[in-house]
Amino acid sequence: MAEEKQNGCLIVGEGVTLSGSFVVPNSASISGKIDGDLTAREILVGSTGVLRGKVTADLIDVRGEVHESITSNKALFVRATGKVTGTVQYAEIEIEKGGDLQGTLSKTSTVSKLDSVPKADSLSKAA
Amino acid sequence: MLDSKDMNIFAKKEESRRSDDTPEHSKVLEIAGTLPRSVPVNHSVPLTMKPSIVGESSTPSPLSGSHITEGFEFTGDMKSDGSLTVDGTIHGNLMVKALLVRASGVVDGSVKADSVSVEGSLAGAVDCRDLVIGGRAVVDGKLRYDTLTIQRGGTIKGELKRA
Repeated sequence: MAEEKQNGCLIVGEGVTLSGSFVVPNSASISGKIDGDLTAREILVGSTGVLRGKVTADLIDVRGEVHESITSNKALFVRATGKVTGTVQYAEIEIEKGGDLQGTLSKTSTVSKLDSVPKADSLSKAA
Repeated sequence: MLDSKDMNIFAKKEESRRSDDTPEHSKVLEIAGTLPRSVPVNHSVPLTMKPSIVGESSTPSPLSGSHITEGFEFTGDMKSDGSLTVDGTIHGNLMVKALLVRASGVVDGSVKADSVSVEGSLAGAVDCRDLVIGGRAVVDGKLRYDTLTIQRGGTIKGELKRA
């Protein structure tokens, strides 16, 4: 799923801790720790990755941990090592056996445009 | 054989008469499939009974499984150490070892089971060890589980908690 171009991508390596609010136009690959809000087109949380905050993306793939709030406008994957807690909103969901999902789930009926960049309001909030 | 009119009649007094099993039940199950969907069948069908299709249970049980066929609408509680396969409709609470809700199956009520597998629709509180939700399933309610699998496309709403 890695993009050829790294324009607009965020890569957080293992051992790195970030806090704040992040808007990523393309994909975010997280193996470190993020405290705060993250909005991207595509979020990959590696097995060592931990996100705590409001996480929003079209496609979210979780092998690590996501806490608090997770919103996927298209597809949410929770892999066997993944752990998701809090408020979960999804259009399509898949959980592998062993994946941990706890909290309140709701399905959004509308699948938003695939190639949409983060919405204007979230951009201005971050600025 | 009973016709559907008869079934309706004793459906109403079922609670008083139907506590232990008689061979009549097997007739009921056999004809159930021919009933129109709208006919409410209200029975305490003993789950240890013969006519059965073993549900695809991950934990084999010494008891043979029971089957609620398509078109069979059941209102009441069930309890069994065996497996239950649902192609029809159940309104009520279930306590079984393994529950399989097939694509045409509907369960509305609380479920306590070792393993629950849903391809149809399930609404209510679920307390189980293994929960598997198929790609076209719709599950709504308070869920407690040990291991959870959701196939892509499955719809799950409500509160989830890992035991």
